[in-house]
Amino acid sequence: MSAFSALLGKEIRALFQSPVAYVVIGVFLALMGYSFTITLFNNKYATLIHIFFQSAGLLLLIVPVITMRLFAEERKAGTLELLLTAPVRESHVVLAKFIASMAVLGAMIGLTGVYALVLGIFGSPDWGAIYSGYLGLLLLASTLVSIGLVVSALTANQVIAAIITIGISFSMWMIDTLASMAPDAMGRVLISFSLLARFTPFATGAMYTSDFGFFLSTTLLALFLAMRALARR
Amino acid sequence: MSTPVIVAENLTKYYGARLAVDAVSFDVRPNEVMGLLGPNGSGKSTILRILTGYLHPTSGTARVAGCDVVSQSLEARSQLGYVPEDVPLYTNMRVLEFLEFMGRVRGVDSARLPAAVDDAIERLSLGRVRTLMISKLSRGYRQRVAIAQALLGKPKLLILDEPTNGLDPRQIIEVRELIRTLSSELSILVTSHILAEMERVAHRVAILLDGKLLSVQSLRDPAGIARFRMRLRNTTPEAVNAALRPAAAELIEAGRGDTYLIACADGAGPAVRSLVTAGIEVEEVVVAVSRLEDLFLQLTEGRIQ
Repeated sequence: MSAFSALLGKEIRALFQSPVAYVVIGVFLALMGYSFTITLFNNKYATLIHIFFQSAGLLLLIVPVITMRLFAEERKAGTLELLLTAPVRESHVVLAKFIASMAVLGAMIGLTGVYALVLGIFGSPDWGAIYSGYLGLLLLASTLVSIGLVVSALTANQVIAAIITIGISFSMWMIDTLASMAPDAMGRVLISFSLLARFTPFATGAMYTSDFGFFLSTTLLALFLAMRALARR
Repeated sequence: MSTPVIVAENLTKYYGARLAVDAVSFDVRPNEVMGLLGPNGSGKSTILRILTGYLHPTSGTARVAGCDVVSQSLEARSQLGYVPEDVPLYTNMRVLEFLEFMGRVRGVDSARLPAAVDDAIERLSLGRVRTLMISKLSRGYRQRVAIAQALLGKPKLLILDEPTNGLDPRQIIEVRELIRTLSSELSILVTSHILAEMERVAHRVAILLDGKLLSVQSLRDPAGIARFRMRLRNTTPEAVNAALRPAAAELIEAGRGDTYLIACADGAGPAVRSLVTAGIEVEEVVVAVSRLEDLFLQLTEGRIQ
């Protein structure tokens, strides 16, 4: 446990010491703040649905920026060799990086809670929809982070890691558009892998266990693959 | 005889279709400094990476302190400290912070951690730089920090990959001294492509070429480590031999004229003193080609591309 907490502490420090985390959080909050203000003044609706979808869209770009360095940088600097020849489990190394990344994204998403507070003070929002939207964002973030971890574990080049992660994330986000052109049975299969289709119910206040299970199982599968990628040497 | 700390049997490693290590077998005994010697690309680092669990062998087995490096990888890794070739460190950490981190990763009990880190800092003379960022350290200090982290957790085996690479002459001497000192406490496996370096620190060397183990040689036999050509006046081979005996030296070859090739276990000094005491005039002393160099050239003749 001590080794795991040491790994987790190192990862969290590394992420929060790096300017990347602050730039990412700053840009994200600036864009979301602008969008929230404009939409609120124009529509006068106490809802965050548009914020949830815009945040999800930005996560597709932001998560690869955070995950690209996790293993790729350590592999390139040689510190991965130092770490993996110490008596630590690969699963601890992967989980520490996953939790640290989620801490950054959780802080980023959590700070948008200010918008919900504003709505609560000046209006009567549907709190159920807001809670489910935030849960959906966190589940989406965890899936994207775990995919980013697998890719980062397979390459020493950060740029390549980021581009491949963006490619996979966008493909999974948009795969439902392909489903509309596919035969019925295949269309249903394709839609079941669509991040957009899985995320939409959360953003609109409807939670289904199947969507919850999809995000959870995809995350666990990707984390397992990241561990296998590290163990494959 | 005590149980070896490393037992490698038929270690083989392919990178794709390329054979990097070809059925290499050797052992390392307790408190022994074993050198892996060979030119670049001979498979030295790959063998170290297999022993440290970073790479899996394609076939063959290796045990560290009795633990299989594949099936008991965690246990094997907890018995060794490793310093990779390019001394990779977390440069965004301070020395103290890094050693505490590595101590926890290496399973040092949190109650014992401060004392263990202080001990490592003292042994490696890192007191002056303990609060500095690793990114600000010289190559020599980085090497010391890397060795300090490898010693945390009291491993039975220290593995050093080209530990003198990039160091200045003074730092090289310091590392050499450190290896000698540490060998009284643990076993050390060290790689180098520098013959003279290996000759000075290792008890035995395994000579590798193209992934194959050519020979394992002891460097601590009485035939001596260093050889000198001495020009001696008014003497005979028999008299030279008799004069050398008290100085742990040996006449290897009585050459042309007055030149004699002499092997000295403790350097040239005692041999020269013995010769002078015996009334032999010593005109010139020149370091001859080392025995290891001779051996290496003999083993690899015509095989290095």
